[in-house]
Amino acid sequence: MRETPLIGPYDVDDVLAWDQEGPRTVRQFLTDAASLAESLPDRSTALNLAANRYDFLVGFAAAIMRRQVTLLPQSRASQTLLRIAREFPGSYALTDRGDAIEGIDSVSIQLRGDQAPWPMDIPRIPPDRVVAVAFTSGSTGRPVPNKKTWGALTAVAQATGVRLGIKAGDRLSVVATVPHQHMFGLEASVMLPIMHGLAMHAGRPLFPADIRSVLADAANGWMLVTTPLHLRACVSESISMPPGGLILSATAPLPRNLAQQAEEHFQAEVHEIFGFAEAGSIAERRTIDGDRWHPLEGVHVAQDASSCLVQAWYLPTPVPVPDRITVDTDGTFVVHGREADQVNVAGHRISLGDLNQLLLKIDGVQDGVFFLPEEGAGLVTRLMAFVVAPGKTSEEIQQKLRAYVDPVFMPRPLVCVPSLPRNATGKLPRESVNELARQWLEREGDGA
Amino acid sequence: MEQSGASLLERDLAKLIVQTLKLKIDPAAIEPEAALFGEGLGLDSIDALELSLAISQTYGYQLKSSDPQIKTIFSSLRALAAAIEKNRTK
Repeated sequence: MRETPLIGPYDVDDVLAWDQEGPRTVRQFLTDAASLAESLPDRSTALNLAANRYDFLVGFAAAIMRRQVTLLPQSRASQTLLRIAREFPGSYALTDRGDAIEGIDSVSIQLRGDQAPWPMDIPRIPPDRVVAVAFTSGSTGRPVPNKKTWGALTAVAQATGVRLGIKAGDRLSVVATVPHQHMFGLEASVMLPIMHGLAMHAGRPLFPADIRSVLADAANGWMLVTTPLHLRACVSESISMPPGGLILSATAPLPRNLAQQAEEHFQAEVHEIFGFAEAGSIAERRTIDGDRWHPLEGVHVAQDASSCLVQAWYLPTPVPVPDRITVDTDGTFVVHGREADQVNVAGHRISLGDLNQLLLKIDGVQDGVFFLPEEGAGLVTRLMAFVVAPGKTSEEIQQKLRAYVDPVFMPRPLVCVPSLPRNATGKLPRESVNELARQWLEREGDGA
Repeated sequence: MEQSGASLLERDLAKLIVQTLKLKIDPAAIEPEAALFGEGLGLDSIDALELSLAISQTYGYQLKSSDPQIKTIFSSLRALAAAIEKNRTK
C-alpha cells in the first residue's frame, strides 16, 4: 500500500497551530518534531501525556518518525498509567509540563523554537503501520488496548472532511474542548486539521467565556470540536459567540432540542459524529435533520440477527457496535440505545458489570452494585453505588476505589447499605436496584 | 459543626457547591483552606464546568480558565469566595 505524508496540504509558512503564545508554522512544527525525534529514547511505546495540543502533535509525530507507537491513556490517574506501562513494558512518558510520573521514565517535550532551513522532507508513513493505541475501560480495571493504524486515522480524517464539506485551503481554525488522548479528540482535533491543512488551537478551552475568546481569535472561520456537555454549558450562559463556524459534537448523544438551541446560539450548523474507541468515528449527521446516521465513506455497517458489525478497509476485522442499532437498506442507521450493561458518563463508556467486579476487589466489600440514575438537571448524570461493607465508611471505600476506577466513573454518592435486595437465586434484578435507588433518592435526594 | 472562621459568602458558596455537585456532605464540613479539586473533594473538570455555571447564575461572575489566576481561584473555598467577592455583578 502507498505511503502517505504526515501532514496534508500546507505551505511551509502556514499556521499549523496557535494559542496565547502565538502561531506555530508548518516549518516550525517539522523542526520541532524532527529535533524531538532525535532525542527520544530507543523504546517501542510512548505514553503521550502532553496537555498542550501542539506539544502532543509534536510528540506524536516524533514517535512516528522513530517508528514508535503512541499510547493514549483515557485519564491521567496514576494507577491507569502504571497499568498501561505494565501492559507495554519499556514504555516511557512524554510530558509537556515537566511533570514526572512515579514509576515511569519521563521525557519532556522540548520545542526548538527556531526554524529549519527549507526544504525538509515530510515523512511518509505506510498505512498499515500501527501508530497509536487507544484504551477502553475493561473488566478487572485493566485498560483494553485498541490498535490504530496510520491508514485508519487518515481514512477517518479524510472521510469526516468529506461529510462536513471541508476542503483543503479552507484554512478554518479548529478549536476543541475535548482531550486529544480521547479517540474522538485525536481524530477530530488533531488528524482532521493536519490532513486538511487547517490551523488547530493548541489549548483546550473549558468555560463558555474561554470558548468565546478562543473562537473570536480564529481567523478564516472556526470549527468547534466539542461534546453535548460543553454545548449545554454554552447555551445556558447568555454569552454571545462569534458567528461563522461549524460545530462537531460527539462522545454522547446530542438531544435534538439542544442541537437546535446551539445552532441558534452559535449561528452555526451542529453536526454529530457517531463512533467508539474500537472502530473510531463511523458515521455523521446534522442533528436537527433527524435521527438517521450516515456512514463515513468506506464504512459499512452490517446487521445480522444477533449483532451489528462495522467493516472498513482499514479495520483488520469487523468490529461489533456497542449500541443497539437498526440499519436501513441504504446503509444509514438509527441508534436506539446502549447494550443493556453499558453506561456512558461524560463520553466515557464502561460496563456496569465490570464496575461491579471492581467494587468486589476492595478489601472488606462483601457486595456492591453500581447504578446510573435517570438524567437530572446537572450537565452530567453521575453513577451511584450501593455497597455492603460492614465496619467500613463510604469515604474509605471511595479512597480504595479511586485506584481502580477512572475519576469520571467514581460513584456519587457511594451509599453503604446493610444488604442488597438479591432474590432467592442470588441474582440482583435491575428492577430491585432501581427501587433501592428510588427509595434512597426520595429519602436523601435533592433536598440538600 | 462550625467552619473555622468561614465568612458568610464562604458558607453560602459551600452550600452552592454541595447542592450543584450533589456531594452528600455537610457544607459546613468543607474546610475553607482545603483543596477542592484532586485530592481534596476529588472534583474534576466536569465539576468545574458545572460549578462555573452555578457561580455565573448566582453571582454573575463568568469564570475563565485562561485567567492566569484560575488555579489559585479554584484552589480552595476561601480563594474561590475571594474571587467571587471581587468580580460579582449580583
